Amino acid sequence: MSEQAPTPAQRSEPEASTVPARLALYQRAGGIVTPLVTTLIAFLIGGLVVLVLSGKNPLSTYKAIFNGTGLNWLFPWNATCSVRDPGNELCVNATNLQATLIYLTVLILTGLAVAFAFRCGLFNIGGQGQYIVGAVVGFQVGLWFDSMPAAPHILLAFVAAGLAGAFWAGIAGFLKATLGAHEVITTIMLNWIAYWAATYLINGGPLQDPVAEEAGAQVSRDIADSAKLPVIWGVQGLQGLHIGLFVALGALVAYSILVNRTTLGYEVRAVGFNPEAAAYGGISVARNYVLAMAISGAFAGMAGAMAPLGLSFHLTSTSIQTDSYIAFLGIAVALLGRNTAVGIFFAALLFAALQVGTRSANLDPDVFQPELANNLTQLIQGLIVLFVGAELLVLSVWQARKRLPRAGRTAVEP
Amino acid sequence: MKVRTKAVAALAATIAAVIAVTGLVAGTGTAAQDQTVVKVALVTDTGGLNDKGFNTLAGAGLKAAQKTLGSKVETRIYITNTDAERTTNLQRAAQAGYQLVVANGVLFTYGPLDTVAPAFSDTKFLGIDVDLNAVKGKPQNIRGVQFREQEAGCLVGNIAALEVKRLAGPDIISAVGANKATAIVRFFAGYQFCAKRANPRVKVITQYANDPTFNDPAKCKATALSQIARGSKVVFQVAGGCGLGAIDAAKQKKVWAIGVDADQGFFGPHVLTSAMKGVQTAQYTASSQALLKLMASGKLKPPAK
Repeated sequence: MSEQAPTPAQRSEPEASTVPARLALYQRAGGIVTPLVTTLIAFLIGGLVVLVLSGKNPLSTYKAIFNGTGLNWLFPWNATCSVRDPGNELCVNATNLQATLIYLTVLILTGLAVAFAFRCGLFNIGGQGQYIVGAVVGFQVGLWFDSMPAAPHILLAFVAAGLAGAFWAGIAGFLKATLGAHEVITTIMLNWIAYWAATYLINGGPLQDPVAEEAGAQVSRDIADSAKLPVIWGVQGLQGLHIGLFVALGALVAYSILVNRTTLGYEVRAVGFNPEAAAYGGISVARNYVLAMAISGAFAGMAGAMAPLGLSFHLTSTSIQTDSYIAFLGIAVALLGRNTAVGIFFAALLFAALQVGTRSANLDPDVFQPELANNLTQLIQGLIVLFVGAELLVLSVWQARKRLPRAGRTAVEP
Repeated sequence: MKVRTKAVAALAATIAAVIAVTGLVAGTGTAAQDQTVVKVALVTDTGGLNDKGFNTLAGAGLKAAQKTLGSKVETRIYITNTDAERTTNLQRAAQAGYQLVVANGVLFTYGPLDTVAPAFSDTKFLGIDVDLNAVKGKPQNIRGVQFREQEAGCLVGNIAALEVKRLAGPDIISAVGANKATAIVRFFAGYQFCAKRANPRVKVITQYANDPTFNDPAKCKATALSQIARGSKVVFQVAGGCGLGAIDAAKQKKVWAIGVDADQGFFGPHVLTSAMKGVQTAQYTASSQALLKLMASGKLKPPAK
């Protein structure tokens, strides 16, 4: 009976003691088919909701969303256009694609922030706090050192943002390692500390631009020109695509190497599978908890630095309170991407495209009401996360079912 | 639900005025231009179109303008969900050929307006709550609209001071602000000045609840309760969603409350009055003047097609 030959997942399944570890195991068990099916079902149900609730044609809605992502820019071949050319559809497509890729940049990093902790059996919900800390520190470094040349200045800003995120997440890792405080609780608490501390900094605190303060606007000063990320496609300030994308792609490669090809990655995974067994094997569980959280936080911290360094060049109360929510989307990216580098890239691309495609600026109101557009994104995202969760459920039921008859068989059959 | 809500009724009228004027411009053009449509876009601030305040009413204003002016006008609403989307939306609206793009909120001043407006010199931008002097480079195609909150504050300050004179006990009135936003500072200034003028013996307590979100009623309630404990008999809320807590506190302690922005009398008989009417008149005058000037100086061109 070939199905009784234990797969690696089955073999190690009973050993996985922590919930995230089990989660990670089931995740890997399904291969590439389940995330694809999951996504398809989510889109199907999303389409049904569109049809039933708004009476719009789901296919044309999805087509409009796709067009809004700018991905259709890849198909027409006369690709050159000036952003200063109003009403040029091609041009809009180009700027949309830039927006999607910028979103992708941040989502890859926030996805990695969740995925790396997952590999160590930790559930990092603190992406938001790490993102905010990274944003504030990256911004501050960008504001200082205005006499530095661009390249080292940008590097310094990213390193500082990453270290800040690492420190913030490291607190949760340290508390887990020393006191056993659950990282879900501590990271959520750290989120709120970062959220309100940064809000204070921008609202009456030292980072608020004194000129803007007089106008009652919660906004900081602009960073130095040398820290502004160079734009590789589009126009700087008009949300052209900046070099942050390379940082994110580099982080993906680094993640893949770190997890699969280094001693640290091996230890982290070992702890993720089973902390007791890892400890028995001579691996310091406490050290790996701290390191895994810190590395996760570094990814989120760099994600936070993207907007102040590459897009808006300053912080506002909105960028801290609203935009940081993208870190939670990283959980969905990591889940759907199954904590692998390639999976995270495509999951991040999907969510980025969904976000940008349903922006009210991109969806034709005749096709789908802009008031509903963003809700549709959230609905599809929610469904995907739900199905990723449900898929775990299905898998565990499946495995339980496979075990049960076996137990029955040994009892009945001779 | 910021103090800016009161701006919105005026915005509707403003947009109507703009469109009327631009319609006129198009109408007096050549015969070929008679078929043209005037395109006006509204870019909301974060909080969405359903924030039951600033954005909701702005959207309603645009729809009302559309209804009044009919097929000569084409409108579209761009909803802003994130910080970066402010720039994106302004840019998309300009790219889509809207001649007048209304940026709804003070945060458009820093970054979005000063980068997008110079890139689209044929498009006119109108910033609500925007001080043109604060926009970097002061591009020629931007106009800002700000409002005189002190006038409404004055009216209710007057009423509050006279009412407290009629009541027994020491003459103490108070005001609760969400945070030190300019609009709130202006409300406070008018409130204090006119209360003192109407009743020199009155003591005016003004406090900020330190709520940057405008959305935490508990903070404003606590502030209002402490003011009432200190003897305040009229509580003026200048705090949007936060201030609903102050109205609640007044109801609980059986003192007068004064609403802000909209007519908040629907909260109950304990609402003495609301700071709205005079502001709207002032806003309407200010904004329509700004716009007429814009029309006169700027060439709001009819669309290409």
